[in-house]
Amino acid sequence: MIRRYLGLLALLAVGRLLIRLAGLAVIAALAVAAAPVSLVAAYAATMAWLAGWPPRRLYRAALWCLPMVVVWLAATAVTTRSWRQVAAAPYLAWLAMWHGAAAGSVALAALTIAPAAIPLGLAAGGLAWAWRGYAMRTGTGGLSPGSAVSFDRRQWRHQARSARARIAAPGAVPLLSRGGDIVPGAVIRTVGHRASPAAAIPYRRLRSHQVVIGTTGTGKTTLLLRLWAGFCARGLQLYAAGAGHRPLLVVLDCKGGADSRRVADRARRVLRDAGARSTAVWPDEAALSLWALPPRQLITTLVDMIEHGTGGAAYYADVMEAVVALAVDAPAGPPASAADFLARLDPGWLAAVYAGDSADAALLRSASRHIADIALRFRTLFRRLGEGLDGPGGFGDADVWYCILEGTSEISVAETQARALVDLLASYAADGRGSQREILLAVDEFSAVSRRLPVWELYERARSLGLALQVSAQSWQGLATRDDDRYRIAATADGGIWLLRTPHPDAAAGLAGTRPVIDTSRRVRGVPRWSHEGSSRIRQAPVVDPAIIRSLDVGQAAYIYRGGVTYVQIKRLVAAPAAVAGQPVPGQPVTVTGAAAAGHASTPRPEPAAPPDAGQFLDEAFGAGPH
Amino acid sequence: MPTNVAERDIAGLLFVAEMYGVQLDQLAALLGVTEPRARGVTASWRRARYAESARLGPGPPWVWLSRAGLAACGLRSPATAPALSRLAHLRAVAAVRLALEATPGYRGAGAFWRSERRLRARMGGRVGLREHVPDGEVHWPDGAPVAWAGECWAVEAELTRKTVARTAAIMREILTRTGDYGCPAAQAREPGRPPRHDRVLYLCSPAARPTVARAREMAGALGARVETRDLPPGAALPGLPGAGQSRAGQSRAGQSRAGAPS
Repeated sequence: MIRRYLGLLALLAVGRLLIRLAGLAVIAALAVAAAPVSLVAAYAATMAWLAGWPPRRLYRAALWCLPMVVVWLAATAVTTRSWRQVAAAPYLAWLAMWHGAAAGSVALAALTIAPAAIPLGLAAGGLAWAWRGYAMRTGTGGLSPGSAVSFDRRQWRHQARSARARIAAPGAVPLLSRGGDIVPGAVIRTVGHRASPAAAIPYRRLRSHQVVIGTTGTGKTTLLLRLWAGFCARGLQLYAAGAGHRPLLVVLDCKGGADSRRVADRARRVLRDAGARSTAVWPDEAALSLWALPPRQLITTLVDMIEHGTGGAAYYADVMEAVVALAVDAPAGPPASAADFLARLDPGWLAAVYAGDSADAALLRSASRHIADIALRFRTLFRRLGEGLDGPGGFGDADVWYCILEGTSEISVAETQARALVDLLASYAADGRGSQREILLAVDEFSAVSRRLPVWELYERARSLGLALQVSAQSWQGLATRDDDRYRIAATADGGIWLLRTPHPDAAAGLAGTRPVIDTSRRVRGVPRWSHEGSSRIRQAPVVDPAIIRSLDVGQAAYIYRGGVTYVQIKRLVAAPAAVAGQPVPGQPVTVTGAAAAGHASTPRPEPAAPPDAGQFLDEAFGAGPH
Repeated sequence: MPTNVAERDIAGLLFVAEMYGVQLDQLAALLGVTEPRARGVTASWRRARYAESARLGPGPPWVWLSRAGLAACGLRSPATAPALSRLAHLRAVAAVRLALEATPGYRGAGAFWRSERRLRARMGGRVGLREHVPDGEVHWPDGAPVAWAGECWAVEAELTRKTVARTAAIMREILTRTGDYGCPAAQAREPGRPPRHDRVLYLCSPAARPTVARAREMAGALGARVETRDLPPGAALPGLPGAGQSRAGQSRAGQSRAGAPS
């Protein structure tokens, strides 16, 4: 009995083996019979594997071959004048191919079958590649359950290599697509987004809020410069076409130091190439006038710029506000400069100005003993702030304002400056001139200076004024000081979230949501063999894998938008040669530019040729002898 | 506008308008007349409500234009009497301009003085602490018969002694500026563009001379574009130190001007 049972089992095993062999033989016979199609399919699938292409790309290539097929069939119809011949053309070409090959004319045989074999082979290769990918994604392919993981990692490497090759090809990744979309770089992989060789971001998303997170050295500046250049270039295109207002980019770089100045110089050169006529670097090269604010706003800003205590100190805050209001709202008009304002914080001046107004005079009398202290505080404040807010100049004077705040070395000064700059921009955006500009406010590491102006308040103000806000930080924690604020900022980034390599991407990555995936278990038949028997189920997996974000290379970024993600290899913008640093001005900060910033010895700025000698003329006018 | 405004009156009114105000002796030198005659000219301007005059400080009376006079000259600046604190400086700058304009080289080249008041008017009152405006600019037309044709000079009259650092900073600011006054802030100092001022001409009092010399040394290569000379003899306010030279300068400037074609 046992022998019979064992014999039956052996028979069944042999039967199964024979069936399997027969199946393989049939497939092999078909592959040989359709050798041209098989060869093209194998080649296409191999190429797709090597380059990490999605199957869609092979299908598209097959479709692009259709004109060739149509021409071939049309030529057949014209020469044979028979629809039957046209219908049988593939079969006849197949026969002719074999006959030609048998006769030794391999090239002629290949040429004969090519119009039919190439599109069919590409489609077959696409199907095979899609099947392979599906099998690996669902965990049913490969020798072991770990094969899917290895396959995915290998595919990522292939896809990243292809994307790097694409951005290296001249002209392959322009700044703007033909449709006017901004192209940050080449696509590595997409999940939930349409796959295309180049990543294209519609301009309107840069007119919404965006969040950029990435640690130092991951290519964040390269990405930001690309986005800013795209914003300027597309905005100026639309402006020239009469379809939009002139763009204005305002960057608040809250780190400060030499690094910020290097970025400012790079931004100036990149943005000039993108069409931005002028870039003002504040406070090194250009100034803004705080005194251009409307009087009401000026009072609020001036009072907010001074640190107040709580409790009993609130009384002094009220006194200060009253005195500042008297100085600003004086009948002579608002002050035109810090010196003018300080000169007004004088009991005698105020008394003379408000002599005819009994109410204000009474207010002045009660506050007069504090005026000297208030003047002292403002004098100290203006000395620390420097001349960057004392004008002249306004946001309307340039296409790009790159504002450097020393958030690392002088936090309290930077906080005050940030507060004033935002007030100035808000005032500019609210009045008639600013409303005629499309403004993008980009803030980097704003949380470093956000004590006076919470980043969430900045967000709300930007939304109410119609400004687009781009918040960038080195980490999730750097977005804001409180977790609630971080989530509010990221969750309302309707222009998308950019993630570069960062050690804690989970919170931001989680905002992309989840997607259903097939999870398959496989039965272990003995180490190290797994059978193909098992069970599958649907489970929810994160759209953005935090592990991928943690392992992103330099220049790679994930763009999260509407529950999908596109991994992008950022294309670096090559700017015009660096401006040569000028001679430092004593008492003024130095702008580090170009080679000097890169650590090379700076070359002195070429001075104009020595002017012609005017000594005789000057002697004639003023007497002999230069001193 | 009176119907009998002579060409000489126009030149005088424009000069006074651009220089904020001038003293009577300088006006006489400008017009090429004696002081009593200049007093008569001033009186006619006053009758036409174009000018005001008063004795503001030591020396002859000052003349400045009223709102109507400024409007007639195309300037929209506020019509105020010269500030007492600026009298010495205004006189020095006017003396420098007179001395320059008296030279045959200046007249032959058709050079043009662009005054501080015009520069400030162009800036639309947006001048802050950060921006220094020179006391004047001299524009030499292209093709003029001088070696420096096409150049733009900044002119600084230095009466008092500032710190060397501040003077050097002003010197650099003037020499590295690329944009016109009143241009967008971002274009004021644009890398790669030629400087606006080919040279800066410092006219110094004896007190300010060492400071300017040291600042020029500090400016390094830029210092090659700095010309320094003494203030002309008539630059000091009468009655103040240097007034002795003033008389000499007055007669010299007056003689030169008198000899010039009007």
